[in-house]
Parts: sequence; C-alpha cells; structure tokens
Amino acid sequence: MLTAFARAFKTPDLRKKLLFTLGIMVLFRLGAHIPVPGVDFEAVMFCVDETKSSTGLFALVNLFSGGALLQLTIFALGIMPYITASIILQLLTVVIPRLEALKKEGQAGQAKITQYTRYLTIALGVLQATGLVATARNGSLFQSCRRANEIVPDGSLFRITMMVITMTAGTAVIMWLGELVTDRGIGNGMSILMFVSIAAGFPGALWAIKQQGEIAGGWGEFIAVCAIGLAMVGLVVFVEQAQRRIPVQYAKRMIGRRSYGGTSTYIPLKVNQAGVIPVIFASSLLYIPALLVQFTEDKTSGWALWIQEHLVAGDDPIYISSYFLLIVFFAFFYVAITFDAEEVADNMKKYGGFIPGIRAGRPTAEYLAYVLNRITWPGSLYLGLIALVPTVALVLFNADQNFPFGGTSILIIVGVGLETVKQIESQLQQRNYEGFLR
Amino acid sequence: MILGFSIALIIFSLLAMLLVLMHKGKGGGLSDMFGGGMQSSVGGSSVAERNLDRITVVIGLIWFAIIVILGLLLKFE
Repeated sequence: MLTAFARAFKTPDLRKKLLFTLGIMVLFRLGAHIPVPGVDFEAVMFCVDETKSSTGLFALVNLFSGGALLQLTIFALGIMPYITASIILQLLTVVIPRLEALKKEGQAGQAKITQYTRYLTIALGVLQATGLVATARNGSLFQSCRRANEIVPDGSLFRITMMVITMTAGTAVIMWLGELVTDRGIGNGMSILMFVSIAAGFPGALWAIKQQGEIAGGWGEFIAVCAIGLAMVGLVVFVEQAQRRIPVQYAKRMIGRRSYGGTSTYIPLKVNQAGVIPVIFASSLLYIPALLVQFTEDKTSGWALWIQEHLVAGDDPIYISSYFLLIVFFAFFYVAITFDAEEVADNMKKYGGFIPGIRAGRPTAEYLAYVLNRITWPGSLYLGLIALVPTVALVLFNADQNFPFGGTSILIIVGVGLETVKQIESQLQQRNYEGFLR
Repeated sequence: MILGFSIALIIFSLLAMLLVLMHKGKGGGLSDMFGGGMQSSVGGSSVAERNLDRITVVIGLIWFAIIVILGLLLKFE
C-alpha cells in the first residue's frame, strides 16, 4: 500500500498530476480564509465562536463550503452553486425535450449542457451571494450573537454590490480551479474540492467532541467516535464496492477469415448505483423551505412557524422521515435516469451478446430492470440509514449536526476517495505496476 | 484610495467571471462527479485555450491581490 504511494510519486507524469492537485487544494483552502473586503472579520469570528453549537439553516451549505460560508470569505459559496446548477440541469433533462436531445447527442451535446451548467452556476452564485450578504447585513446570519450588527460596518449599496460581485467571482474561480483539476490533475475536480472542504472540518469537529466529553477528559468519547468512524468507513467501502455481475456471452462471428468475439464478460450492477447523489438531492430539497422562510417578511405566520419547527432542526421526526423517504425516492429516480435497461439490451443485441438463459431483446431488458430494481432496494435503504447517522450521534454524543462522521460527509468522502484512488491506480497500471487495491 | 480599489475590484471580478466562462467546460455533469462515466482523457489544449489560461491566471492573481490590499486598507482606515 505505502510502496504503491511511493511508486505513484516516482512516476513522473503522475507525480506532476498529484502535485498539481495538491497545489490547487492549497489555493482553495487559502481562499476560504480570506474575508471579503467590507466585512469586519473580528466580529465575524466572534459570532462564529459564539453560535457554534446552534446550527440551523446554513448548516449543510456551511459543511459543503468547509466553514467558509459563515466566515464570509471570498470562497464563501464554495461549490454549492455548481452542485445546485448540476442538479437543476439533471432534473430538467427529464422534463425539457431539447435538453434530452442534447444529452443523447453524445459528447458535443454533453459539452453544451456543461456550458449551460456553468452559466447557471454564475446566476445562482449571484443569487446566493446576494442572499448571504443581505442576511449578514441585517444581522440575521447569526441570530443569537451580540455583535451580529457589526459584521458589515458600511451597508451602503455600493459596498454591498462590491461584496456580492466579489463572492460571485469567487464562485467562478472555484469552478475554474475544479476544471483545472479535472483537466490536468487527478480525479474529478469538483468532487475533490468538495472532499477538501468537508475534510477540512474534521479536525475541528473531532476536537470539539473531545472538549465536550466527560469520560477521561474527553478522550473516551474521542476514541469512541474515531472507532465508530473507521467502522463506518469500512462499511461504506464494503457496500460501495458491492456489485452483482450479470454474465454476458458474446457470440463468435466470422468476418472474412478472422473470428471475432466469443468472449464472456459481465455487466456490473452496483448495489448503490446512484452513489451519493440521492443524499445531496434530498438535503438540497429540504433546504429550500427553510430558505423560503428566511426571505419572507412575516416570520410568525402559520406555515413559516410550522417549517421552522419541523423542517429546520435535524432531529425532528418529520424532518427525519421526509429526508429518508426523499433519499429512497431519489435513489430509484437516479438509477432510472442513468441506467437505461432497454438501451443496454439493445446494444447487447447489436453486438451479438446475450445473457445465458434469457432471450435477447425485450426479455433481456425486462430481466435487467428486474434485477436492478431488486438490487436498488437494499442500496437505497442503506443510503437512507447512513444519512441518518448524524441524528443518532446528535442524541448519543450531544454533538452538533455537522458531526464529522455524519452520513452525507462520510458518503462523499468515501465515494470521492475510492474514485480518485481507482483513477490513480489505473494510471499506475498503465505502466505495469501493482496498484493499491487488490 | 478605497474607492479606487473598490472599483478596480468590481472590474476585475467581472473580468475573472467572463474569462472563466470563456473556457470550455471540462467539468462534466453530476454523474461524472460521483463515480460512473468513462474517463475521456483528451490530452492537449489548443493555443488559444493555453493563452486564455495564462490571462485567467494573471487576472486571478491581480483580483486576489486587490482583495487583500482592500481588506487591509479597510481594516486600518
């Protein structure tokens, strides 16, 4: 394992890629610590300290930006606008025929969709930056903080516009950094940046648990949480790697004097085909009602109160059950979008492949859909259960909602980590070296 | 002084956004982000793209410097 790392660094082009990725990560974290001009940084830090325990509306977004959001730094918005934009476009491809046509067009169409995502990201960046700066200005970003009104000393229109534009430019720069990593580094840039911002919160959150703990000066809780975290990482890796292999036999074909095909392979159907996407979809959707309340004038009307009571806190039964149901729904939805059983069956038929015991064409498609459906059930339930872990932790350890080994973060960390390691490995194997995973 | 830097910051922010949007998106969608999807390693970018990269880096650095200077100016105002 360690020698594999050493070998990865000995390969010149791989070393270049790894160092490039690391450099971008450093830049990203650096930007996440530089406050936007016009913000009183001392007041912000004071308020962040004071309201650490009470997490609310911005908890998830703050998690995705690695704590930069509440500190009002230039990278405050993080990659959240990009994620939201991709989610929106992903959902719209099902609805709008033109987008669906683009998607079917292949590479060129995909590039166009990516371009739309980028424009939408900037638009969403403006929107979210305005919302964030507005809430910071009127002091409702930190509701219980005494110095909340000092955060933006000069609330003139010019100054506010400057802050919004700076934050939006920050979003654009983050997007570009992510694309640079995808292009010249290792792994997918956006997910790596998300990985970095989530992982950045780990040490602080773990230390907070140690500080709050009682057994043996807090070390008892600290070690327990670490052990649980490691066990969960193991479990998640186990399920992420789990797949059902459906055997496919290809017929031998004679073309001229040569014979082609005749091989037998398999279609891997992963138990958790959808990955973390359902969790992200569900949490982004549940974040919308709370956001709506934030922007309404009358915060005491019936529905606003109901939402604040049931859909903001992570430990409310209604919140938990709707979260769970949404995750299960989106798991099926996403698998249905991404894996088209009919198309796979068609392709197999075209190249003379078949599943032993099942006729080519429609029966094959039906069989694939059936197996996928069966396999997605445990997968989606697993996703839902994992995502509920922070709630359990909330009760057990009295930790806050951004519990380091919370469901969303652990799924993203493990998913991105596995993907990146696999990519490094495939690069290593191109040079005939043994990889990390055996 | 502060006003000048503020205006410069706005201009450079807009420039940075524009330049980033001028790049060809290499990101790929959400499905690329979390597993799935093949790796299309189409290496090499055109000369125009490389020049664009350079300009973006320079503009980004200036943008960054202006933010730091403006932050310091406002602090010791």
